[in-house]
Amino acid sequence: MEALILEINTRGLHRYHCIDQEITTLGRALDNDIILSDPTVAPHHLKIIRYGDSSYELVNLTDVNPVRIENQQLDTLVGENLPVNLEIGRVRAQLLRRDHDVPATRPLAGHGGISLLFGHNYWAVLLVLVCLCIGGLEFFFNAYNSVKWSNLFKFVLRETILTIGFFVLALAVLERLLVNRWEIRQLVTSICLVYLLYYVTTLFSKELSYLFSANWPATLFHLAWYLVLLPAAIALYLIHISHLKRGRSILLAILIASPIVVPSLLQSSELRSLLDDFTSSAKYQNNLSAWNWHLKDTVTVEAFIKQAGELEPGEFAD
Amino acid sequence: MLLRLIAFGLLFASLFAPTQAAMDSKQIYQQNEQRVFQVRVLNRETGKKSSIGSGFIVGDGSQVATNYHVIGQVILEPELFYISFISKDGQEGELKLLGLDVARDLALLGAEKPIGEAIKMSPLPPRGAPIFAMGNPLDLGLSIAVGTNGGILNQTDDSRILFSGSLNPGMSGGPTFNERGEAIGINVATARNAISFIVPSRFLKNLIDQAANAAFEDEQDLKVEVARQVLAYETSYIEQLLETDWPELDLRQFKLPGVISPTVRCWDNSTKLSAVARYKRYQIRCTNQNHVYLDEDNKFVGRLIYEYFWLESEDLNTIQFYNLYENLNKDQIESKMDRDMVSNFNCKTWFVEVSQQELKGNLCRREYVEYEGLSDVLFTAALTGHKKQGFFITVIMTGIDYSSTLPLIQRFLEQTEWKP
Repeated sequence: MEALILEINTRGLHRYHCIDQEITTLGRALDNDIILSDPTVAPHHLKIIRYGDSSYELVNLTDVNPVRIENQQLDTLVGENLPVNLEIGRVRAQLLRRDHDVPATRPLAGHGGISLLFGHNYWAVLLVLVCLCIGGLEFFFNAYNSVKWSNLFKFVLRETILTIGFFVLALAVLERLLVNRWEIRQLVTSICLVYLLYYVTTLFSKELSYLFSANWPATLFHLAWYLVLLPAAIALYLIHISHLKRGRSILLAILIASPIVVPSLLQSSELRSLLDDFTSSAKYQNNLSAWNWHLKDTVTVEAFIKQAGELEPGEFAD
Repeated sequence: MLLRLIAFGLLFASLFAPTQAAMDSKQIYQQNEQRVFQVRVLNRETGKKSSIGSGFIVGDGSQVATNYHVIGQVILEPELFYISFISKDGQEGELKLLGLDVARDLALLGAEKPIGEAIKMSPLPPRGAPIFAMGNPLDLGLSIAVGTNGGILNQTDDSRILFSGSLNPGMSGGPTFNERGEAIGINVATARNAISFIVPSRFLKNLIDQAANAAFEDEQDLKVEVARQVLAYETSYIEQLLETDWPELDLRQFKLPGVISPTVRCWDNSTKLSAVARYKRYQIRCTNQNHVYLDEDNKFVGRLIYEYFWLESEDLNTIQFYNLYENLNKDQIESKMDRDMVSNFNCKTWFVEVSQQELKGNLCRREYVEYEGLSDVLFTAALTGHKKQGFFITVIMTGIDYSSTLPLIQRFLEQTEWKP
């Protein structure tokens, strides 16, 4: 009689029990072979009987929350086919053969390539320091009055430390709830990378807007950031660091990102202009650049006036 | 001897000939109380007043003069509103529109039959002479306000007289009398206590003459006529501006057009900076005063605003300077318009060489929904290529023919001169 495996789904790591006796009982009572402490499980809930010809019988023992087998409520099931999905109260389980295939091993973060970034504490510390420097530089480049160190500290505290700290804390709690683990180092590294990516791409999109003398690069970046890049970064984290399944990771990423994405998009003039086709302000290209790189030719006043004569009238909104 | 007697007789006769004596406010009131009405815009459904003003009998005795802004609602929604008058003694009747002078805020209305004796019109008395404004302030009944003639204001394109009396809402469209009880103008607006404005009666005379030749027809689309008049006035105004020499003003390293017309006033608009600011900014803002009332929604058009802005710093580095410079380069058009009034702006960017300097220029236009041909135009240009110096020039014009603004913008750019 070949032993079977009962996989009991729990948050994080599942529990596995070897069913190698002729009769195995499951329930909340302490005289069961497998004890499930969930309150929705009856003291004696399920009996698994093994037969010599590799078949099995599942017998329901309770009237309250009876066992559901493959989503059906059955008092007893005799069969050979495996795996079988079970619902014991609200506990989900699977009866498997011992030689049931398992997915390929996922490499730990920090082993090879770019994932080395996530493998050591000093990378996390270094990235935090880089973020603090970027925060400081942002303050410095926007300081039009005499710089006070106290203001610099307040700015970095508010804009960098609290921002990164908030996201680390929020995502760590979520991770704990989702996979029952803490991955603080990887979380700090990931959030710092996203912070730096945001900063660099914002600067880049502004320069691109000036280069093309158009608002579309900045608009495109703004929408892409909230609708694609941010959820994608979270999904990649869940897939590669938390080792969740791809589909589940994408759904979770959308859910996690939505409290940030929705308010930001609702407040953004870019999306408002897409949703509401009227605005009373003149959305002209007001970027200015110290580098002054632009693709448009410089024209004379006469040429400008001639071309301006062909400017189309504004479009009426619906 | 006979000749001497005749000469003496003529002198005596001239001394004692009857002249029209100066009247006081009580006499003027009594003389005109049956000739000045409350003009009302009534809702056809409810029969109630939507807006009120004043008016007075002119022309052949069946015509009533008032302000365009008093009856403007009828032009926007003729199917919903109509115009009526009511006299002090309760006589009332419907009035129809005969003519408009939108630029001077005048309207000429007509009753079905003569409703009284027309008020005689007269030129403006000398500056400082007493004048008397009659009307129905705040729907409280006919009253008279006493003040003096402050003269014709050239900043309003000669279309306004300054009146030192107090005009109140409801008096718009009423007559302003000289001491002989002749109408020298039409009440039109107030700025604040004892600063009020009158339209000279010569514009009303012109309107009466025009209406005699070509009165409006019943089914005529009056919005088209309003747009036509506004466009004609604004285009002529721009042409006048272009015909004159413009004085120059200096703003740091630029020589720029100064006060380009008597209708324009320029003010230093520089913001007071904090003591720890590491930059300097200077701003000059010029605006015209001869705005044109369009309607209740769009309010005034015909605005010309031009603004110069200079920014410099020795202490900021280039990145800091450009962050500040860019933050200050924002949409400066003051606008509370909605989709029922105007289109979206259509903007385009150019890099223009002006006085051997490169400016990044943006030109935007939007159109009025109800008034075909009217546009708002915004031109703004920022100096590029300097590490520690920034400069904007902004020109805004509202309710105007787009193509007529381009020569003005060209003139502004051509008269912008960099001083190395």
